[in-house]
Amino acid sequence: MASQPHSLSYVGCNFLRQRLVLSTLSGRPVKIRRIRAKDDNPGLRDFEANFIRLIDKITNGSRIEINQTGTTLYYQPGLLYGGSLEHDCSPNRSIGYYLESLLCLAPFMKHSLRIILRGVTNDQVDPSVDVLKATALPLLKRFGIDGEELELKITRRGMPPKGGGEVIFTCPVKKAVKPVQFTDPGKIKRIRGVAYSVRVSPQIANRIVDSARNILNKFLPDIYIYTDHMKGTSSGKSPGFGLSLVAETTNGVFLSAELASNPQGEGVAVLPEDLGTNCAKLLLEEIYRGGCVDSTNQSLVLLLMTLGQQDVSKVLLGTLSPYTIEFLRHLRSYFQIMFKIEVKPSDEERKGGEKVLMTCVGTGFSNLSKTVK
Amino acid sequence: NLESKSVKEEDGIESLLKEEDEYKEAADFSADTAGALKWKEDLTQKAAEAFLRQQQSAPNLRKLVYGAVAEDEEDEGEAGEELGGLFRVSRPDKESKRKADALDCSKFPVEDPQNWDLDEVMDSIRDCFVTGNWEA
Repeated sequence: MASQPHSLSYVGCNFLRQRLVLSTLSGRPVKIRRIRAKDDNPGLRDFEANFIRLIDKITNGSRIEINQTGTTLYYQPGLLYGGSLEHDCSPNRSIGYYLESLLCLAPFMKHSLRIILRGVTNDQVDPSVDVLKATALPLLKRFGIDGEELELKITRRGMPPKGGGEVIFTCPVKKAVKPVQFTDPGKIKRIRGVAYSVRVSPQIANRIVDSARNILNKFLPDIYIYTDHMKGTSSGKSPGFGLSLVAETTNGVFLSAELASNPQGEGVAVLPEDLGTNCAKLLLEEIYRGGCVDSTNQSLVLLLMTLGQQDVSKVLLGTLSPYTIEFLRHLRSYFQIMFKIEVKPSDEERKGGEKVLMTCVGTGFSNLSKTVK
Repeated sequence: NLESKSVKEEDGIESLLKEEDEYKEAADFSADTAGALKWKEDLTQKAAEAFLRQQQSAPNLRKLVYGAVAEDEEDEGEAGEELGGLFRVSRPDKESKRKADALDCSKFPVEDPQNWDLDEVMDSIRDCFVTGNWEA
């Protein structure tokens, strides 16, 4: 193609997902060099190769070239195709790793996406499916990506190292994304949570709930933590337990925190009471950071603002995470969008830390793959 | 880029110093006329601190995000390595290299958790809840 845009070049394996996702959306090819070049075991890991396969699955006409050692990757994006798919995720990363990118891409497919993902549903590294369900989906709705189709169903739970979990993610297709003005987080009116346990005593979930409530009840009476004990085939292949908590405000902001037990055979056993207490404290930290968007979803909201109609979007965020900062740089290189970043010092004493007001004008991105009806 | 940054910083400090001089005169004047008004003494200091604080937080976040271009800095680094022959400049920041191959994860871990058992710490987020104070 003569009009092929100039490709971008990066070094190292970090932020691989951002780079491939933005490349797919913007249509700019990307080259990533020196992936773990100095490592004893150089090149792409199996979970990254698995991610690239997933990208290949949801697009049509992508060109992917990887050199023999796997240290260089060239990706020329095709069209986002979507449709009804299945994917076995690598058990080395949780489904959340893959799902985060799918959340960015799904609204811009040709056919609405319905995908069954199998693998690890909850681990200690990535955002779990529970958290993404509770925080990312409401965020998509705010940008006008809604409807009955927007759903994330957890049919089986799977803990590391072996996984065996399964989720079904469906997302409708939208032609354009609405701009948002999202600057008042409101006040937290309730806290919900899920304490899950698989292949261990169901009593563990109750112990987690009690200890987490002990802390959170000092702030709010309206707390309900569901216990989710899955049995038989829906409990995956490895034992484990954990807790995810979500605070909901009067203005529909969702802030989350989560913890999971150590994978079988790694580290010392975690007491359910400690896990509950620590997770509750993590939620308080997240509330202290505050903002209108959970820290794990900062990049998702910034992406949707960038892709919005040509109008001003504003969002109040808590402290920017390193991942988000890198994402902002990537947005600049792929979409030539720079955000206006204003630090709002906490004027009132009792409302947590500094907030950051992010403002931008959308690029007026419209979904070219979607057929006009 | 680094140079311009340091120059800017110097500028900032210089302007700060200038202000301080002006204030000193005023302070001397007041010391001559009236009795020692203690609270006035560190006004300059306070103003300077407030000024610095603002300088640090507001534009620097933008600089932090957009200032340093992480894209393909590596080429320069490699050129530098070959220059020395015997000696190798290992400065091309190890940190960014480590970052380049770090774990790709969107979670934002809490680095130094606060002690949430203390009342003061708990009070710092009290008004984020419906149970806290509602301003008009």
